[in-house]
Amino acid sequence: MVDSAKLDLSARIGSLVLPYPTVGLSGCYGSGAEFAPYVDLARLGAVVLKSVTRRPRMGNPTPRIVHTPAGMLNAIGLQNPGIDWYLQHDVAKFAQTPCATIGSVAGFSVDDYAYVCERLAARNEIAAIELNISCPNVAHEGETFACDPDLTARVVRAARDTTDKPLIAKLSPNVSDIATIARSAVAAGADALAVVNTVRGMAIDIVQRKPRLGNVTGGLSGPAIRPIAVLAVYEVARAVAVPIVGQGGIETASDALEFILAGASAVGIGTANFADPRAPITILDGIIEYMVQRNVRSLRELVGAANTGFANINQVEGDEG
Amino acid sequence: MALASSISAVVPTRILDRSEVAHDVILLGIEAPDLVKKVRPGHFAMALLPGRQAAGVALGIYEAHGSRCSLLFFLAGDRTRRLGALRVGERLDIVAPLGNGFDCEGAQRDIAIVAGGVGIASVLLPAQRLLARGARVRLFYGARTAERLVEAERFAAEGCELLLATDDGSRGYHGLVTDLLAREEAPERILACGPTPMLRAVSAYAQERKIPAQLSLEEAFGCGVGGCWGCVVPIVRTSAQAPSFPPSEADGSDVVHARVCAEGPVFWAHELRW
Repeated sequence: MVDSAKLDLSARIGSLVLPYPTVGLSGCYGSGAEFAPYVDLARLGAVVLKSVTRRPRMGNPTPRIVHTPAGMLNAIGLQNPGIDWYLQHDVAKFAQTPCATIGSVAGFSVDDYAYVCERLAARNEIAAIELNISCPNVAHEGETFACDPDLTARVVRAARDTTDKPLIAKLSPNVSDIATIARSAVAAGADALAVVNTVRGMAIDIVQRKPRLGNVTGGLSGPAIRPIAVLAVYEVARAVAVPIVGQGGIETASDALEFILAGASAVGIGTANFADPRAPITILDGIIEYMVQRNVRSLRELVGAANTGFANINQVEGDEG
Repeated sequence: MALASSISAVVPTRILDRSEVAHDVILLGIEAPDLVKKVRPGHFAMALLPGRQAAGVALGIYEAHGSRCSLLFFLAGDRTRRLGALRVGERLDIVAPLGNGFDCEGAQRDIAIVAGGVGIASVLLPAQRLLARGARVRLFYGARTAERLVEAERFAAEGCELLLATDDGSRGYHGLVTDLLAREEAPERILACGPTPMLRAVSAYAQERKIPAQLSLEEAFGCGVGGCWGCVVPIVRTSAQAPSFPPSEADGSDVVHARVCAEGPVFWAHELRW
């Protein structure tokens, strides 16, 4: 039996090494502080902050949330204070977060991404940048980037030119071939990929005879999308040799392990926090238990272990190092 | 007003008692001695359901006394049915207390509490607090049918004057509770909890007469703790509940989206822009 205290649970995202593979996801986890009463944030690998845009955004009308069987539709619409206010009032507080804080950038043009990325990445409180090129909830434009390999590349390259901090491109599942998008993002300089954002969906109120969401359409999250997300990670991990933050309906350690075995180096926990804010900790503890029982000393031994065509990132990192 | 989230926690509780106070209306007593000390009128809880569910259920905290709190809710969907299926002795974890709560400390002594349907679950604690302060408390309580006017007698026993309304006329005034409110002598202050159309009517009534009114809003929650921005309502940026909100995107607009779970769920009627 290995000693649980001696396990290597770390996950690498470019130059950033997370001590744990579990990440609180953007849009679900506020700034992390909202969950501090319920979990020890020091036992998370990182928190990905809510996306920020160039200008302030009111977001979508309500209802923004609809509960569905085994899942949840949301259409928040990128409500945020805009980068000016964010830098002035919010970012300094993240220095107190006891785990890494990863900034999330959203936009409506290539220039938007570059502009916000440059300003946000310049701050010491921000350890890495996630490019949210896959928000399904902002009138046609938001998801366009992640649905087109050329636009994906242009956004990533423009952001890459502004910072040396690790860049994560957040991919959409609403594409016919996610591997193509993944290759494009990596070729343009992404250090890691977040796989995947929500699946587009809608729900209709049959009494009122109208859509349930104020925005009409939304993004489906929760266990309903997990098999879709596992497959997306599996396919992306065969296509590119960069770390993947696997996400989509992870509720338990066994769910998280599916993503890791498919090829994810880290796992994101979003909607599961709404069902139980302790989820990131119980998932981490479950991963540790799995490793101890099977004498697995390093999480890296598990990454991609169920994926025969895995583009071995550990090997690539070894070559580089 | 301190945010309840600063004192909230995941509270492991045990079901002490369970009763079906009307068809598909459940009252669950839970053992939660530490929570009783922290709960203020208008606070709510997120019940973490057993089994796999994508989100908890937001519920008003109905009673808080001794070592027992209670949750009163209607069986409306799969998630509330799971909650209603819990039996005495079983465990239920909740996140609580949450939200800002009602301000029950005003100088006014003639108070109207307006409750619609399941909104009744959030107004017993404020009624008790106001009565303890010596206020006259009239409960304007509306529901679809007489059977759905659950716990009305409990409020009467506490000392509230009951003014009841039903949609079908099976008990009390035949019509909307807000129409009943408008027919009676105006109160000095209003506290309300219920469906949005009722709250809008209360808000219009109160603003027309310049009566201070606090409304506890209903909105679909994601996290319930301020992390997801799923449950927003438009309010005036300079509102007491939005002391440091950024400007909205519309130039010149003074309206922002506040979170019902974190800045609310109780808002002053005159600060809402819905």
